[in-house]
Amino acid sequence: MTERSPKASDTTALYVYAVCRTEGSPALDGVSGVARDAPLRTLPLGSLTAIVQTVRAAEFTDEAWQERLTDEPELERYARAHHEVVSAVAAQAPTVPLPLATLYNAEDRAEVVLGNESARFHAALERIAHHAEWGVKVYATGSPGDVGGGAAQRPRTPSTPSIPSTPGDRERPAPGAGRAYLERKRNLQARREQQREESLRVAETVDTRVCRIAKASRRLRPHGPGAAGDHRVQVLNATYLVAEHRSAELELLVKDLRGSTGAGIELSGPWVPYSFVGEV
Amino acid sequence: MTDLDFRHDVDHPVPGPPNTNLADILERVLDKGIVIAGDIKIDLLDIELLTIRLRLFVASVDTAKKAGIDWWETDPALSSRAARSALQEENRELRTRLEALESGPRDMASADR
Repeated sequence: MTERSPKASDTTALYVYAVCRTEGSPALDGVSGVARDAPLRTLPLGSLTAIVQTVRAAEFTDEAWQERLTDEPELERYARAHHEVVSAVAAQAPTVPLPLATLYNAEDRAEVVLGNESARFHAALERIAHHAEWGVKVYATGSPGDVGGGAAQRPRTPSTPSIPSTPGDRERPAPGAGRAYLERKRNLQARREQQREESLRVAETVDTRVCRIAKASRRLRPHGPGAAGDHRVQVLNATYLVAEHRSAELELLVKDLRGSTGAGIELSGPWVPYSFVGEV
Repeated sequence: MTDLDFRHDVDHPVPGPPNTNLADILERVLDKGIVIAGDIKIDLLDIELLTIRLRLFVASVDTAKKAGIDWWETDPALSSRAARSALQEENRELRTRLEALESGPRDMASADR
């Protein structure tokens, strides 16, 4: 592993998924990781254990990653593979997940670098012990397509068939028709503005209430329309570190908030606390 | 401790939710974890570009509230400015049509085309 092979294609690197505190070896049968060539294994780091995999260095160079980052299906494959390993380990031992693509040129390099970070790993394990991460998303009431409904359609004023061909006053639109039209547009706009304000207010309410039962929280950037395969407008994308014994309470709270606000609220979890292992 | 014991140890956080969309996973595995120096590293700038390209992330609620920027701005349903300009557009069109109407039915018919 540490010896340099003359052939570049034979050079290996060490992919590190997570660091956990365990006395045995987590069972990882059926979990393949990001590469097929070698199975997942453990790398002892004193009181901690890293979950690693030997991979071909050529497939994990900076250039290879840049290519991968622009190839959505490929990226998805790697992200899900990484997530699967982290989740499997975390189900069996207190675990600190490492970000996607944490790689070392050699096993002894990984031992040195990760060994030097043991204080940070222990601190992170302490922070997330018996806690899980939960994602909460709030969607605006009334999607952009919905808002205004039929009134948003461009009016054809006045439509040709409704105009009598004989000359006279009747052929002109009623006085003030344009004004009335503009008035309608203004009302529609005011309603939209109100809905937007209301949605943001609901987002704040949800965040405040969930924060009360969470140990920590983070705001993530709301996803754009279409990210989740729909066109709803996301007004809150937050994630919370919640004690395991309070997860039922959280689910009840979200149900309650759905009822009281009428907003679309999605709860996802429990996640391995990815968002809370770093020093915030 | 055997593997079986491990599997049944319920003291630890359970795995991620079953129906996870890619955006949810990416925002967790890419840039929110503990920062550990690796020998091979993804450039954070690349991740920014990636997320923009995938249209997964947009302005935060905070930013949107302060400035009403980004896609809020171009969506008439959400932005007052975009809606206002849409309104001006409608207004202009309306005036044109009114002029055409007032100048007579024949002209009106051609203006409608």
